[in-house]
Amino acid sequence: MATGFLNVTARPARLPIWGLSWTIFAIGIAIYLYSSEKRHRENPDDKVMPSLTQLAKGAADAALKPAEEDDDVAYANAGWLTRLHTSMLWKDTAASTRRFLISIALMFPAVLLGLHMGLFPYIGALFLRFVLFFDKIIALSLLPILFIAFGIDELSKIMLMVIGVAPTIILDTVNLSRSVPREQLVKALTLGAGAFDVAYLVVLKQILPRVINSIRLNLKPLMLFLFAGEMIASTDGLAYRIALARRHLAMDVIVPYVLWVALLLFLADWFLRVLNRKLHPWFEEA
Amino acid sequence: MALIRMEDVRVAYTTGSRTRTVLAGLSLAIEAGEFVCLLGETGCGKSTMLRLILGAEQPVSGTVEVAGERVRGLCPKRGYVPQRYGLFPDRTALANVAFGPEMYELSVAERLLPKFRGRRREIRRQALELLAELGLDSHDANKYPHQLSGGMQQRVAIAQALIMNPAVLLMDEAFSALDPSTRASMQALIRRVWRERGATILFITHNTQEAVMMGTRAIVLAREGDESGSKIALDMELPGATDPEWHARDARETREMAEHIAGFYGGAKASSFTLRPALAAS
Repeated sequence: MATGFLNVTARPARLPIWGLSWTIFAIGIAIYLYSSEKRHRENPDDKVMPSLTQLAKGAADAALKPAEEDDDVAYANAGWLTRLHTSMLWKDTAASTRRFLISIALMFPAVLLGLHMGLFPYIGALFLRFVLFFDKIIALSLLPILFIAFGIDELSKIMLMVIGVAPTIILDTVNLSRSVPREQLVKALTLGAGAFDVAYLVVLKQILPRVINSIRLNLKPLMLFLFAGEMIASTDGLAYRIALARRHLAMDVIVPYVLWVALLLFLADWFLRVLNRKLHPWFEEA
Repeated sequence: MALIRMEDVRVAYTTGSRTRTVLAGLSLAIEAGEFVCLLGETGCGKSTMLRLILGAEQPVSGTVEVAGERVRGLCPKRGYVPQRYGLFPDRTALANVAFGPEMYELSVAERLLPKFRGRRREIRRQALELLAELGLDSHDANKYPHQLSGGMQQRVAIAQALIMNPAVLLMDEAFSALDPSTRASMQALIRRVWRERGATILFITHNTQEAVMMGTRAIVLAREGDESGSKIALDMELPGATDPEWHARDARETREMAEHIAGFYGGAKASSFTLRPALAAS
C-alpha cells in the first residue's frame, strides 16, 4: 500500500498543508534570485532578470510616478497620495478596470438570455443553434472585424471581451436552468406562480450562485481578451503598458505589472466568492 | 358527483417510429374525501395518471375533470407533493410554505413595496401556524431545506401544498425516500391531515402495507403491453374507509390484504375482497 505522498487516504495536518502550499513559491523565488544574481555578476547592466532592488524601484516608479506620456504634468511638489492617484499604475489600472467592469456588467443580459433559453423551449430553439455556432468562433479572429466595425476605441475592446466570453456564459446558464428539477417548476406552477415568477423567483434565484461561479471561472478568459485588445490598440491600460515595456526590455516594469494583474484577478475572484456566500447562505458549494 | 373523473383516457408516447401506450381507455372516478392509494409496477403509468389530474400532462384522447372542470393546466386547486426536489433550496421552510399564497394572492407591488408589509406578515403567520400544526417549530421554520431531515422536508412540502387549500392533494411516492420510523410518523401525519381537513388524497406508493393502512381505497394499475397500455387490475375499498384504526387491531388481516394487493401487480386476477366496479359506470 502506498504511503506518504501517494497515500490517497492521507489526512495531513494543518502545518504540513500550509508548508507544502508555499513550497513551489519558495522554490520559484529562490531559482529566480539565484539566476538573477548570477546574470548580474556576469553583466551588471542585465535587464532580463532584474534584481529585487531593481524590481522594487520599478514598482515604486510605476506606483508613484506618472507615465512617460504624462511627463509634462507637474508632480514634483505633490504629496504621495496625489502622486499615487496620478501615477502610471493607477492610470493603467483605472483604464483596464473600467473596461473589465463594463464587460462583467454586459454578462448580465447574457445570463438572462441563457435563463430564458433554458426555461422556455421556443426561445431555446430560436437561439441555441446560433449561440453554439458563435461559441465555436475564435473571438480573437474577429478582432480585425471589430476594429473595422467599431473603431479602435473602447467599444471594440469591450465587444471583444463580451463576444469571447458571453457564449460560454449563455450556454452554461442554459445548462444550469435545465438542471433545476422539473418537480420544482411544476410545484411552483401549482402554487399559483406564473411563467416569469418561475423564471426569476424560482430558477434564477437558484442558479445565481452557480452563475456567479461560472463568471468566476471566466474571469481569466475575460482578462485575456482585455489584454489582447489593449496590446493591439490602446493608449492606456495594464496590457498596453506591458506591451510598451516589452519594447524597452523593461522587465523591472513588466514583472511588477504581471504580479499586480494576478493580484487584481485574485481580488476580483475573492470578492465574487465572498459576495456569493453573503448573498446565498443556503448554497453549500459556494 | 365525483370530484375527480377520468373518462376513456389514453396516453401514448412516441419515440422515433415506436409508440408506447401508457394508459388506454382508462376510466375512473374519485369521490370527495376519499384517500386513494395508487399502486402498480414501475412504468405502469401511476405517475402519468397523477400528472394528468395535476394538469402537467394532457391525454391523447379522453377527458380528465376535477370538481366538474376539465383539467387544462396546472393550478393551485390541485396540490402536489413529489418524492423529492419539491422544496425551493434557496428559501427557508417558512418562505417555502408562504411562496404559494404570496404568488397567488399578492401582486408584484404587494410582494415588494414596504406598505404591503402587513399583508406579507399575515401570510407568514399563517404559514408558521400550518408548520406548527405539522410539527415544525419556529426554529425549524427558519432553516433552509438542506438543514432539515428528510421527514421535516416532507412536512414542509405537505404544508406548502396544504396552505393553498387544494381540492385534492396528489402525492407521488412522497414517503419512499424516508427511513421506516420517519415514514411511520409521516403516515400518521397524513392520516391526521386527511381526517381533520376532510381532504381528498391520491397517494402513489409501492408499499402495499402502507396503502392498506392509510387508504380508503386501493387501485392497482397493471401493464398489459406496449399497445394496450395499463389497465386497472384492482379497485378495492379498504376497511380504513369506515374504521380508520382497523389496522392497529388486526395486523394479520393487514398483512394478508397487502399480500392480496401485491398479487395484482402482474395483472388482473379474481379477488376475494369487495371490489368496486372499474368505474366505467360512475
